[in-house]
Amino acid sequence: MGPVRALFSLLLIAAWSSASAETMRFEDAAGILGTSCAKDIDDNCRGVNLDAVRLKDCLYRNQDVLSSQCKNDYGRAFDAIQKRVAARSAVTKLCERDVAKFCGSVPKGDRGQALNCLLAGPRGMTINCGKALGEAGYR
Amino acid sequence: MRSGRKCRRGIGLLMVALIGFAALPAPAQAQAGGAADEWLNKLAGLETAPDLDVAALRQQAMDRIKAKAKADAAPIKRPPIAPELLRLPQFAADIQFDEDAAVVRPESYRMVGRIADTLYHPSLLGYRFLIVGHTVSTGRRENNLTLSQRRADVIRDMLINTFKISPKRLQAVGLGEEQMLDSAHPAAPVNQQVQIVTVGLAP
Repeated sequence: MGPVRALFSLLLIAAWSSASAETMRFEDAAGILGTSCAKDIDDNCRGVNLDAVRLKDCLYRNQDVLSSQCKNDYGRAFDAIQKRVAARSAVTKLCERDVAKFCGSVPKGDRGQALNCLLAGPRGMTINCGKALGEAGYR
Repeated sequence: MRSGRKCRRGIGLLMVALIGFAALPAPAQAQAGGAADEWLNKLAGLETAPDLDVAALRQQAMDRIKAKAKADAAPIKRPPIAPELLRLPQFAADIQFDEDAAVVRPESYRMVGRIADTLYHPSLLGYRFLIVGHTVSTGRRENNLTLSQRRADVIRDMLINTFKISPKRLQAVGLGEEQMLDSAHPAAPVNQQVQIVTVGLAP
């Protein structure tokens, strides 16, 4: 049974680390919401647009009548959007020193060029900055 | 002996699961990445930022409808109201709305998310974009102009409020049926797509 257990735990670790390392793309998170809740939104939240406050509120208010799939997924989808937004804005802060140290030629405030410089993988980049880039889905 | 066989079967099953786990998401990701990359390429390569006045463009469209010029009465004969937009890097997204309303259908949420992903790409972070709403030629021209403006505004609101793209990078304008994407077929659904156009450097 040893190898089975080992393989199983390896699988678990792989699934966990891939889930925790990178936040979900907006396309996928919004796609989950649109697919799982299409009918629920039509039936209960007609006229409400994709909005992290109003649509979430509407689904929450109607949760007693939501399909089980929508009930399972809507919170997860909004969370995923929120997590990626947070991960993207964290990059600026967590990589500030790295940009100053390794990307001297980049004009100040040019986030796009700064990111491209960091993504080229300068030697000696801090672990926190590397992790932030990974969580934001930039690499 | 028995537990050994069980064990091997267990490993076999796990291997199948592992292979499936690894193989399944790959084609889906490649496909989605492909579409997103296509948009990325289409928005890149702005040479000179145009001198674009969105408020004036809105007024121009309104004036043309009010003037009711005979020359452009039929949609098929109407010249584009903002030909300068056609020369800029852009793509059109087939976003579905509720009929006669500025409410995005849930089946198009994925596409709005994909627009957000695209505009967050490092190579585009330094740019500003114009969201252009259009409609087909059925219904009144004035109403279509208003509807397309509301739809463009709603896409802008989503990108700003839900996906936190900087409002400074996004403007929105509705051109109704004044700049058909396929003027030879004024009622074709392609004419109500939403365009994203690169218009300049981010402030």
